[in-house]
Amino acid sequence: MGIRFDSVTVAYDGNVVLDSLDLTVEPGEVMALLGPSGSGKTTALRAVAGFVRPVSGRVLLGGRDVTDLPPYQRGIGMVVQSYALFPHMRVDENVAFGLKTRRAGKTETRQRVAEALELTGMAAYARRHPRELSGGQQQRVAIARALAIRPDVLLLDEPLSALDARLRSGMLAELARLHRELPDMSMLYVTHDQVEALTLADRIAVMDAARLQQCGTPRELYRSPKNEFTASFVGGANVLPVTVGCGGVGFAGTELKVDTGNAVAGARATLCVRPHVIGLGQGPNQLTGVVREIQWRGATHRLYVEVDGHSVMADVRELKDPPALGDPVSLHFAAEDAVLLPAGAGHE
Amino acid sequence: MLVHSRGARWAVWAVFLVLFVPLFALPLLVVLGASFATHWSGVLPSGPNTANYRAATRGEALQALTTSLLTATTASLLALTVGTWAALAGAALKKRYRRLMDALFVLPVAVPSVVVGLSVLVAFSKPPMLLNGTRWIVILAHTVLVTAFAHQSVSAAITRLDPAYEQAAASLGARPARVLLRVRLPLLLPSLTAAAGLCFALSMGELSATMMLYPPDWTPLPVLIYAATDRGALFTGSAVAVVLMAATLLVLFAVSRVRTRASYR
Amino acid sequence: MSRRLLWALPPVALLALFFLYPLALVVQQSFQPDGGGTSLRPYADVFASEAFRNALWTTVWLALASTAGCLVLGFLLSLVIAFVPFPGAKAVARFIDVYLSFPSFLITLALLFIYGTTGIIGSFQFLTTPWGVLLAEVTYFTPFVMRPLLAAFSQLDTAQLEAAGSLGARAPRIIRRIILPESLPALAAGGSLVLVLCLNEFGIVLFTGAKGVTTLPMLVYSKAILESDYPGACVVAVVNVLISVSLYGLYRVVSRRAGA
Repeated sequence: MGIRFDSVTVAYDGNVVLDSLDLTVEPGEVMALLGPSGSGKTTALRAVAGFVRPVSGRVLLGGRDVTDLPPYQRGIGMVVQSYALFPHMRVDENVAFGLKTRRAGKTETRQRVAEALELTGMAAYARRHPRELSGGQQQRVAIARALAIRPDVLLLDEPLSALDARLRSGMLAELARLHRELPDMSMLYVTHDQVEALTLADRIAVMDAARLQQCGTPRELYRSPKNEFTASFVGGANVLPVTVGCGGVGFAGTELKVDTGNAVAGARATLCVRPHVIGLGQGPNQLTGVVREIQWRGATHRLYVEVDGHSVMADVRELKDPPALGDPVSLHFAAEDAVLLPAGAGHE
Repeated sequence: MLVHSRGARWAVWAVFLVLFVPLFALPLLVVLGASFATHWSGVLPSGPNTANYRAATRGEALQALTTSLLTATTASLLALTVGTWAALAGAALKKRYRRLMDALFVLPVAVPSVVVGLSVLVAFSKPPMLLNGTRWIVILAHTVLVTAFAHQSVSAAITRLDPAYEQAAASLGARPARVLLRVRLPLLLPSLTAAAGLCFALSMGELSATMMLYPPDWTPLPVLIYAATDRGALFTGSAVAVVLMAATLLVLFAVSRVRTRASYR
Repeated sequence: MSRRLLWALPPVALLALFFLYPLALVVQQSFQPDGGGTSLRPYADVFASEAFRNALWTTVWLALASTAGCLVLGFLLSLVIAFVPFPGAKAVARFIDVYLSFPSFLITLALLFIYGTTGIIGSFQFLTTPWGVLLAEVTYFTPFVMRPLLAAFSQLDTAQLEAAGSLGARAPRIIRRIILPESLPALAAGGSLVLVLCLNEFGIVLFTGAKGVTTLPMLVYSKAILESDYPGACVVAVVNVLISVSLYGLYRVVSRRAGA
């Protein structure tokens, strides 16, 4: 079942927290809502679940307008950051909760609980109480509980942010596997972590300041960000203020050969260059500057180089003989690795 | 740790004991000691015996104990029901109405108990609601007095309750009534039992309003203790007071057992 | 919205019937002298009587003095329990909770043995003076200050104290500069609660049996029950309620600010 936001606006006490969102999640698709806190991503999810009422616009599930439906009639699975497992119920009772509200038969309930626990690898813990489980296990139970009612739509609100880094990557793989096993279920996944979004989602909707900034496949977002926010939030690109010239742009008194598309010569623009496409040493599109900070990150070194008053980040393969702070260095990048955005494409 | 040197720490503890023991521990010990004695004119009580307790556990004292237990149980159950209902209904209201309701329900804490007694006496001494002279006027006053405490502690617990639980339940298809019965009330159970214990203890020791209202055939323990000390029977009074404390503690203990079970289930 | 208001109606109706309506009757009766009619006569009579003025004064100064005593004592004791913990400090904290569940008159009963005419210290007529009531009130109400204080202390970041200690601050300075400011809200909340409870205290005063110490609640009781002067009792009750409720309103504002 698909989800459609039809210019959904949510406001609290006159504060607009979600500004006319238009977004469609196809049936069976995993859509990540990615953005910093306060970007409106959780509000969008809660509007689907029915916990916030839009002041205008409609929410559609499988083509049906559910804007006025209370949460308990929407038939949506939901997993939240705190898991919200009922502490006074055992694991199997938690998972059976949704089935009992639907007055499912005893045998069916038992069977579906077993199925959901099997799917999440928690069958061995059915008789435990939530407080006897680790964070990761509680997360699996929360997912099992949401899946037991066989929802067509699963909402996940920062489901991994309470887990530590190692568990997180494991759970991420689990979620990907779940989606392969339940290919018809749409998933709306709210996160502030770009790695989770890039790994899991078919498409990502980047949100900031209550608005949708850009929606596309991870590759699209990465390769051709539409604005500065997407460029820097997804993949942490360098955004450099440049002036468009003929067949290139001017930055810090240097002429850089990049595709200017249909940009008008003389206009101000923003050049996005990912740190990992920048190389150290001489080459085409060369910039010279002074090393201000150097961080060793195992396989790579990150350099912060000051070029004419602008800080440029470069991730280079681990250096045997890294430059010292204050050393002059040269940086370069290939023309096709840079994206030119019109100036002021900060927020839509 | 605020005080690092050993000597200073011992000095601080000594001061603490000098203040704490005479002020807080001694009164209870004195009442306990006196309850087993017939005379107390030296440092220690004299004439040890258990006659006070024989008097304190039969006849009018026994009847007063039953009266107190019945009054406290009825009042705290009624107060818990009304207070919880008010707290739950209030939590669903908009902020402005909720504030108003909170203010209304804490008012009995601020109004002197004696005045609550007086007002109940004034209001229910004439038809159509003639309760004066019956046990119900005592129970009613106790209920009014402790409802405020029940409401306060339950509504504090409701604000602490993570809304994620009820939302999870709703997303699983549970209607509001089912969410209340299967999720919210069980989660509130520890606070409800705590509130019940508090109400019970307060009602057991209530004297001010009771003194204004009690009919001769419904004399709770505090009134009996007052009557005993007033006629000079201090030692019997102490024994009755110990019975009062013991009964209160016993019920509080039982309630806290229920609470532990509820929160660690 | 209207359905939610409807759900709130039954408990509010009960409260109105059994608490607000009787209270309104008290106010009404305070304007109806025994002779009939409606007038300010009862107020004039009561305000003119020396017994009332004495009781008002006694009530107020006893409550203020008791509150001050409770604040100082409660602060000191809580400080030791929280920051100079000793084996059994937790048990003491729990004892305080239990203490709160006992009726106030037990304290006076105990003091009768200690200071009363047949008591340990002997026929020292201490209890029948306001000082006896003061002692009993400080003893009984100090835990009411300690509870919010201990809660506030347990939330105090110990890292702050350690940082101050590592910077060379000594205990009195740490108390004055860090602990005291942090606990001011709890002190204010606990103090105003105790002030209200002291203004309303009845059991302690009744049990001393002191004819010389009459507080407003005592006066309400004796006028209504012993003298059957209902209009007079109602006047005193109205005065007492006005003082207590306005103070309690202050307490609510303060404790809401303190987040307690």
